[in-house]
Amino acid sequence: MLQPDSLGADSRRNLFSWICSVDHKRIGIMYMLLAVFFLLVGGVEALLIRAQLAVPKNDLVSPQMFNQLFTLHGTTMVFLVGMPVFTGFSNFIVPLMIGAKDVAFPRLNAMSFWMLPFGATLLYFSFFTGSAPDAGWFSYAPLSTKPFSSLPGVDYWIIGLAVMGIGSISGAINIVATVMCCRAPGMSLQRVPLFVWIMFMQAILIVITIPPLNSAISMLLIDRMLGAAFFEPARGGSALLWQHFFWMFGHPEVYVFALPAFAIVSEVIPVFSRKPIYGYAFVAGSSTIIVLLSYTVWAHHMFAVGLGMGPNIFFAAATLLIALPTGVKIFNWTATLWGGSIRFTTAMLFAIAFLIQFVVGGLTGIMFATVPVDWQLTDTYFVVAHFHYVLVGGIVFSLFAATFYWFPKISGRMLNEKLGKLQFWLWLIGFNATFGIQHLLGLMGMPRRVYTYDDNPGWALCNGISSAGAVFMAAGTLVLVWNILKSMKSGAVAGNNPWEGFTLEWATTSPPPLENFKELPEIKSRRPVWDADHPDLADWKSEKTPEDRGHRPAGAKVAAWSFVISEAIFFILLLVSYVVFNSGDEIEGPTSETALDVSRTGFFTLILLSSSLTFWIAERCLRRDKIGGFKLWLGLTILLGCVFIGGQVWEYSGLISNGITVNRNLFASTFFTVTGFHGLHVTGGIIVLGIMYMLGRLGYLTSKRTHVFAAVGVYWHFVDVVWIAVFSIIYLDVFK
Amino acid sequence: MMLIPELWNWDSLVWLAIGIILLVYFVTFKGMPPLRRFALGLGVAFMAVAFVSPIGYLANGYVFSAHMIQHLLMLLIVPLCLILALPKQRVASWFSDTPKPQLAKALVMIGWIGGVGAMWFWHVPNLCSVSTQNASIGLLRDSSFMLAGLVFWWPIFGPLESTRLSPPSGIVYLFSACLGCTLLGIYITFTNSIVCPVFAQSVDSLGIMASLQAAGFTPMVDQNLGGLLMWVPPCTLYVGAIISLLCRWYKVLDPETIKGPVASDHEPAHLV
Amino acid sequence: MSTFPLLQPASPEAEAIFELFITVVLISLGIFVVVTGLIVIALWRGKAKADTPKQEFGSSKSEIFWMTGPILILVWIFVITTKLILTTNAVPKIQPTDSTHELELHVTGHQWWWEIQYGDSSIVGANEIHLPTGKRIRVKIESADVIHSFWIPQLARKMDAIPGHPNYIWLEATKEGVYEGRCAEYCGTQHTWMKFKVFVTSPEEYEKWKQEATAADKTTAQQVAKTAPDGKDASSSGAKLSTKEAGKAIFLSEGCINCHALEGLSTPSIGPSLTRISDRAIIGAGVLKNSQENLGRWLKDPQTYKPGCKMPDFNLTDEQVKQLVTFLWSP
Repeated sequence: MLQPDSLGADSRRNLFSWICSVDHKRIGIMYMLLAVFFLLVGGVEALLIRAQLAVPKNDLVSPQMFNQLFTLHGTTMVFLVGMPVFTGFSNFIVPLMIGAKDVAFPRLNAMSFWMLPFGATLLYFSFFTGSAPDAGWFSYAPLSTKPFSSLPGVDYWIIGLAVMGIGSISGAINIVATVMCCRAPGMSLQRVPLFVWIMFMQAILIVITIPPLNSAISMLLIDRMLGAAFFEPARGGSALLWQHFFWMFGHPEVYVFALPAFAIVSEVIPVFSRKPIYGYAFVAGSSTIIVLLSYTVWAHHMFAVGLGMGPNIFFAAATLLIALPTGVKIFNWTATLWGGSIRFTTAMLFAIAFLIQFVVGGLTGIMFATVPVDWQLTDTYFVVAHFHYVLVGGIVFSLFAATFYWFPKISGRMLNEKLGKLQFWLWLIGFNATFGIQHLLGLMGMPRRVYTYDDNPGWALCNGISSAGAVFMAAGTLVLVWNILKSMKSGAVAGNNPWEGFTLEWATTSPPPLENFKELPEIKSRRPVWDADHPDLADWKSEKTPEDRGHRPAGAKVAAWSFVISEAIFFILLLVSYVVFNSGDEIEGPTSETALDVSRTGFFTLILLSSSLTFWIAERCLRRDKIGGFKLWLGLTILLGCVFIGGQVWEYSGLISNGITVNRNLFASTFFTVTGFHGLHVTGGIIVLGIMYMLGRLGYLTSKRTHVFAAVGVYWHFVDVVWIAVFSIIYLDVFK
Repeated sequence: MMLIPELWNWDSLVWLAIGIILLVYFVTFKGMPPLRRFALGLGVAFMAVAFVSPIGYLANGYVFSAHMIQHLLMLLIVPLCLILALPKQRVASWFSDTPKPQLAKALVMIGWIGGVGAMWFWHVPNLCSVSTQNASIGLLRDSSFMLAGLVFWWPIFGPLESTRLSPPSGIVYLFSACLGCTLLGIYITFTNSIVCPVFAQSVDSLGIMASLQAAGFTPMVDQNLGGLLMWVPPCTLYVGAIISLLCRWYKVLDPETIKGPVASDHEPAHLV
Repeated sequence: MSTFPLLQPASPEAEAIFELFITVVLISLGIFVVVTGLIVIALWRGKAKADTPKQEFGSSKSEIFWMTGPILILVWIFVITTKLILTTNAVPKIQPTDSTHELELHVTGHQWWWEIQYGDSSIVGANEIHLPTGKRIRVKIESADVIHSFWIPQLARKMDAIPGHPNYIWLEATKEGVYEGRCAEYCGTQHTWMKFKVFVTSPEEYEKWKQEATAADKTTAQQVAKTAPDGKDASSSGAKLSTKEAGKAIFLSEGCINCHALEGLSTPSIGPSLTRISDRAIIGAGVLKNSQENLGRWLKDPQTYKPGCKMPDFNLTDEQVKQLVTFLWSP
């Protein structure tokens, strides 16, 4: 892990040192570069879409190609631009802002990053198989099931997403652990910069929001590969279940993007207004509330599917409700501007444009929350305009603000402001031309996802304007790329704190050294650098904030708990699908009553549960440094785990020899999926326990390192708890 | 419908319970500030609403959604009001030394399992039917709701600082409880099978069910509404409680209390 | 055909939704003007300043005070939304029995066309709907394959057609005319061309259309039966066939019969029914206007006009196309 100076001249050309780097700053930069690359890829896809739609009855691309383009445009922008770029900023900035040397788990961080290019390669490799995914980024079943998408495009989509999902979850767990465990002394959780707090919330949201997607795509993969029928109505499956699961991921995902934008703006606006953020607690608290509420609004994507009156009203209310915490933020940013002395830097211009365009996107969002209006406007260009105002007008603009704001810290050089302003105006005009006019197209009744259209009055003109605007955005992007390349070589030298920033990243050199800080200023408020620069006006003199009590939980335990929560949601959703498909009366073929041997599995359940007990004893032994006892009880735990797996193999072989396989009926599909994933988790646990055993034998595990073992324990006990739920729902049939 | 006199259950046993609560409270705590008295009053008023008003009558084997409203009042609203009625210093003075962290931890576990478990337990189909038909099991159910509600709210709003959760842990506590309720609520809302058979074929002694059903309020609609009730109001209440925790955390409401570091020995270790 | 179908409602339901939309747009405009105004003023006041301004940290009172406005607005929006949901969403799953509701429509989405069945007659149509004014019609919406969405902007809300999950809406037109409808949910390669037309006429004209169409169905069946050849081996019999007879022979031998229904000859509904095709307004769910020439073009090369559609290119000669068109146009 020896690293030269993180951005030192001697290593700049050394590609290999980048590839094996575990430095959070380098990994952050790699995330951003990857995102920029795919921003260009996704942008080219968008340009092709707009070129095809520029004139009516165009035949520039074939319908199949068009569908692949919008599918990949959506998937790329969400998973390969939106998620990585913010993880990149989070990676680079968060440790600096909290005065840490690195993230909590630097090597996990590198793994998280490298999952992304692998996932991306899988996704784009589908082009070479002759069939890129073309079922939309939402892959609605049954269109995405085998009978309607027989080519392997959707399979690549699923596997690519699964790989990237694993990377995102582990990256997010890392941020959670970093914020909780690595803060400098004096920095209580109530004192962290808003960027850190909101990215912390975003990381938590990623941890709980990716699992529904993983459940959904693993079920779809089992449908496609093993012949199950979760999402094939023709064989008893449910088309709506996919939508529920997908949007349970998909809507919080919007906040996975929106929260970082809030985080960035909450830093940029105060600095360029020379004021602290107005109502810190309200901005921070409303972000927390958004995380909680974002999980209750998913079905507003489904108002047109015929949910029924009650759910429609409920989800309308929840959607309107979530507008409030966002409104609170808008108010606080405006109040921060109020009375400030404003510096119109490029970063600030982008932040202001964000503010106004985000308000537009938010207000059209309210229109969609009024259900009957949604019935008319959904799936038209009005909704395209709405979410691009949020995602581009809001989030991409905030991203540019972040780029101009932090580029000096990342590279040590300033970006050119003139080029920056040129880029700003190109984007402002291009963006509003492209997407503003689409509101009108929606009212004209133009539906989404059509590769061409009739020459109805007005359609050609509006689409023409929309396509022309895209050219402006493309030009603006080229200006940015040129600006970055030019400034890297010959930009003005930045110095430590070019913007007179408030937070700790500005207390170190630009770019920061490998260990981030030579020394830290004293942290007594939310703006330590401001306090150091303005001793008379120091924040802690006028605004008291809760003191740091010095409590920092063990990183391993935090990571284990976060992981367990994420996995719990994954299993809950699989169990939900079990209940959905097995609570009706009219199942043909085997059911849990006819196919399963409850008493035999009951015995193996006891075996598994007793392994929790032996684990607990092993942990006690370790804490008291009784390595002999530790090895004995841990060995017994492993043995019990193996016996349980053996029982499962016995059960499976019995079922399979009776012709009950995963594609037999929905009971069999759900049964094998749930117990199979549980079995995989037990097997993984046994491997980890084996590693622990070896570490114990080699003398690496001592009473001082119990927290690592305790973290493994969290996982092992969790696997048992899941089995209790599985056993009572599947074997004891509590829902019947 | 409120006007039908038969729907009012004036001779309910709940008056006795209310009497006992009021008596105990006013004997134990004298000279309470009006806000605490108001909380107490609100609590017993909701108890009365749950059993004396038509909700109580309809909950008794008639309408599933009324039955759900009764549960929510007994599990969430009434205990919350009663806990808020308890004065901090007086209760604290009963315990000479601060409880051990393990005890606080155990209380949290019991509270969460009690609060979420009570809802799940009493909606197992057979238990749901039996407790509606059998008065003594019904009494057991109602009192267990009340008790579960008290232990559930204790770590959040309990009068003892030392047994309270820290705000971040409290948020996790409430959010996970919310998910627990949501899961069951979603199940009851969307399922096509009958959760509580009694309500599917209720004995119609007043002759109102026929007109209700004709108006589209079929047992299935009733059950879906009940599911939504189990899902939405508790979550709203929990989000409200979370907001109050956030205020407490950032000390938005009383800036006086953040003068110096507070004794840090019983900050719960499990912040996740 | 109107330029802004969403702003020109022609049914009570579309009207109500339109009014709600306008209300919400006005509210939004108000909010937008206030927020943007405040931002612009703040920027204007702050642009010339260079000194360190007063360091304000916020106040809970002003936050709470400010929040009341948005809360009231949201409650207002919620109330008007709920009101409209309650009135428009209440479509019974059981057909009501009173006389104003006798007509029921059964719509099935297919990749990529619409099958229309009428509850009050045996007529089966494709990609066009005939309706009388002033009747409240219950529409059952289903799908034969993937998810589609049934949408006539000027007449009714969107409602998804989901396999295994039938949905119901009310359809009621007040003004006579021709309305555009289409599939609004992405449903595969040719989602673009999955349109249909709605012909709204007076109840009398509708009755007339119904009787004529039913009669035409009957005549078609009789004519088809009469047209030689009636066996599959007819094309090889060597006898001299008329143009129409040759068309029927192609219809049987090329496999049209496997996907398309033709009264008296076949019943499958993989593709649209071809009975009374000369009455239709569009071909290929909207790619072409219907005429004998266009039908010929379509039969010659469907994949050029609707690439990826389920109808393969049969490599028919011009002669064969002519025969087939003649047969289909008046069997």
